[in-house]
Amino acid sequence: MARRLAKTDVVIIGAGWTGLTAAYELAHAGKRCVVLERGSYRHDADDFAAPKEHDELKYAVHHAHMINTRKETLTFRNNASQQALPMRRLGSFLPGVGLGGAGIHWNGQLWRPLPSDLEMRSHYENRYGADFIPDDLNVQDWGVTYDELEPHFDFYEKICGTSGTAGQMADGPREGGNPFEGPRSADYPNPPMRQPIGPTKFGEAAQKLGYHPFPMPAANATKEYTNPYGAKLHPCTYCGFCERFGCGYYAKADPIICVYDQIKSHENFEIRYQAQVLRVEKSEDGKTATGVTYLTDAGEEVFQPADMVCMNAYGLWNVHLMLVSGLGKPYDPKTRTGTVGRNYAYQTMAGVNVFFDDQVVTNPFMGAGALGTVIDDFNGDNFDHSDLGFLGGGYIACTQTNGRPINYQPTPEGTPAWGADWKRAVRENYLHHASLTVHGSSMATPDNYLDLDPTWKDAYGRPLLRMTFNFPENDRRMADYVMGKAHEIARNMENVKSTSASNRAAEGSDYSIVPYQTTHNTGGTVMGTDPTTSVVNRFGQMWDHHNVFVFGAGLFPQNLGYNPTGPLMGVAYWTLDHMKNDYIANPRPLMDA
Amino acid sequence: MPTYSRRSVLFGFGAAVGLASLPRHAFAALDGTPFTFLTDSEARSLALLCDTLIPQDDFPSASQSGVVDFIDLQLAGGYGRGEHLYMDGPHPQGTPEQGYQSPLRPAELWREGLAAMQTVIGPLDGQPQSALDRLMTDLSEDRPALVGRVGAKTFFTELHALTNQGYFADPIYGGNKGYAGWHMVGFPGAFGYFTDTVDAHNRPYRQPPMGIGHQPGTSDFNWER
Repeated sequence: MARRLAKTDVVIIGAGWTGLTAAYELAHAGKRCVVLERGSYRHDADDFAAPKEHDELKYAVHHAHMINTRKETLTFRNNASQQALPMRRLGSFLPGVGLGGAGIHWNGQLWRPLPSDLEMRSHYENRYGADFIPDDLNVQDWGVTYDELEPHFDFYEKICGTSGTAGQMADGPREGGNPFEGPRSADYPNPPMRQPIGPTKFGEAAQKLGYHPFPMPAANATKEYTNPYGAKLHPCTYCGFCERFGCGYYAKADPIICVYDQIKSHENFEIRYQAQVLRVEKSEDGKTATGVTYLTDAGEEVFQPADMVCMNAYGLWNVHLMLVSGLGKPYDPKTRTGTVGRNYAYQTMAGVNVFFDDQVVTNPFMGAGALGTVIDDFNGDNFDHSDLGFLGGGYIACTQTNGRPINYQPTPEGTPAWGADWKRAVRENYLHHASLTVHGSSMATPDNYLDLDPTWKDAYGRPLLRMTFNFPENDRRMADYVMGKAHEIARNMENVKSTSASNRAAEGSDYSIVPYQTTHNTGGTVMGTDPTTSVVNRFGQMWDHHNVFVFGAGLFPQNLGYNPTGPLMGVAYWTLDHMKNDYIANPRPLMDA
Repeated sequence: MPTYSRRSVLFGFGAAVGLASLPRHAFAALDGTPFTFLTDSEARSLALLCDTLIPQDDFPSASQSGVVDFIDLQLAGGYGRGEHLYMDGPHPQGTPEQGYQSPLRPAELWREGLAAMQTVIGPLDGQPQSALDRLMTDLSEDRPALVGRVGAKTFFTELHALTNQGYFADPIYGGNKGYAGWHMVGFPGAFGYFTDTVDAHNRPYRQPPMGIGHQPGTSDFNWER
């Protein structure tokens, strides 16, 4: 039997962006918070400092900051007729572990969703007709609008000291920003990043073609900055070690320096490390959760009772915890009923390699996670979809994130993968290459979902999560179309010798768990206003257990053409706002089912 | 440029001409230090395979820059033991999209894989380069039926990945000797402060590389050709 601890007001599962933010906000609202983190303490100052952190083999190849698949992983298949097999090593996506979670090794590409993204079904039906969305796409509204989330997007941009150029302010558009973005209550707190030659040439070509380039919004600070919690950030050094690495310069916003340092001494805050949550426990009537059971590093099972449970694990593991705890109704693809694990979606990635002549020296190692120039002309519904045969879109970005030489070896089309010709091509092109990324949306379908695997188990004896996913036809067409636009821009860039385009979702190729694509897994615990198609209501509160609040990209009904951290943090602050100002004083379901 | 055979580099014969800076066994950069995991015979086979992937040109071959030493240390360490590899069975055959499904830990996989090469073309020593090139192409296309439990493509994927890592990883791991890989492409290493240069367009960056364990005065590139 698990040892029973004294009750706390709130137990928070996971110490990443959403978990530490929940602790900060709820502790200041007078609630005693216990954060359970399965990994270890670590800190930017001690653990992410250069030059030791700048070890491509250890962190980018061997994933030293990420989960160890020996303890927790999932099984994967492309469709239900296959046997799912374990993801034995990391590849396509890189969930984190330890203080700060995956928030320490992100790139810092910080976006807001478009207003129309959040009302996707209504928007498309209004603009293109009620029959426009095919039956095999589970497109849904989020249940929350841009105007409701705007103050929270703004606040999170300030927490991160975000660098950028506003496009739409309350009093009208701004030159040099994203003309398609929703109206902003404030500009970015810091000026945009300095642009290297590749992104500059991309911007010039895009502009000539009539598109609207702007600097990518970056949680990489460009000036000394103090955030609203009191955390100090320093200017980015463009060192080229962002994604997959922690930032020892205090320049990339992360949950440790931006949130944890500012709450760690609060009397209502406690964090326990090596605390592996095994399940959420339910009351006898099943209407609420009573707390969570976790395993200590000494191997002891402990029950932590709590009035409120916040699920702040990485999206995939929130789904797993619900399934092994019996929270909510598991999705069944045969009957298309149930919600937990439904609407799993990903990101549809395509790109264009651009090879310059020797006049252009790109110095790719001068990089930063969110350094680049973007156009949003083909994202969301910023372009006419009437005759295109798909929904959604993506941004096209020329980024310069790094020149780390194990993974950065661009070679022109037709170059062999090894041997003398390969070696010469790597040598000749390393300093003369730019990459355009198409960062595309991902629609949910009835056949892409998460459930429990019947065969394999994790290190704690629980069934592994099972992922069934392939690219929907809709997204294959979308990526192909937007990639064509990217290729057109590439061909119009100056000093270009050759270009080559590739689409992860190309016709005839199946989604693969092996090559890295993005750590943007979404859905499975989606939000909404209908309990038959969502796990949580529009406030992030579980329909079935009103004292369980769920956070993260698992709430997205389908995935955006943007990186998820900005949108999911906007929703997190929205949820916390309703917890603090409504739920705590009167605990109950905040919406009628 | 002096000419010399691959054999002479590998076995230290005739290395006097223009190769004074090379250790006696080019593939054993830690000269005189026994390999940790590999046998001498395995190391020689591996050097031939790695040098087929990254041959010598104006810059060193894989084995000349310490890649065999790198792989030896990787196989003896966490990678070889599968410390980040979920190993629970069963191990049914998967699709390429499902990734590594071998029942073997990487150290076992390499040992069996290197032995299995001999079943395809016999001992690698003394094979003409054209035969090694053909072997590599076949492996990469999953063609030869290797004896034992190692699939050709699986072995190729690991061999290709680690050869590449050894050539370009920080020298603290035993490869990329004299920063050969970093010199070849122009990567300056682990110390990056580019705030004032990132938007100085088209200006070549000329600082020599520095790695994590950099010793002052050791960044000069001594490769002789």
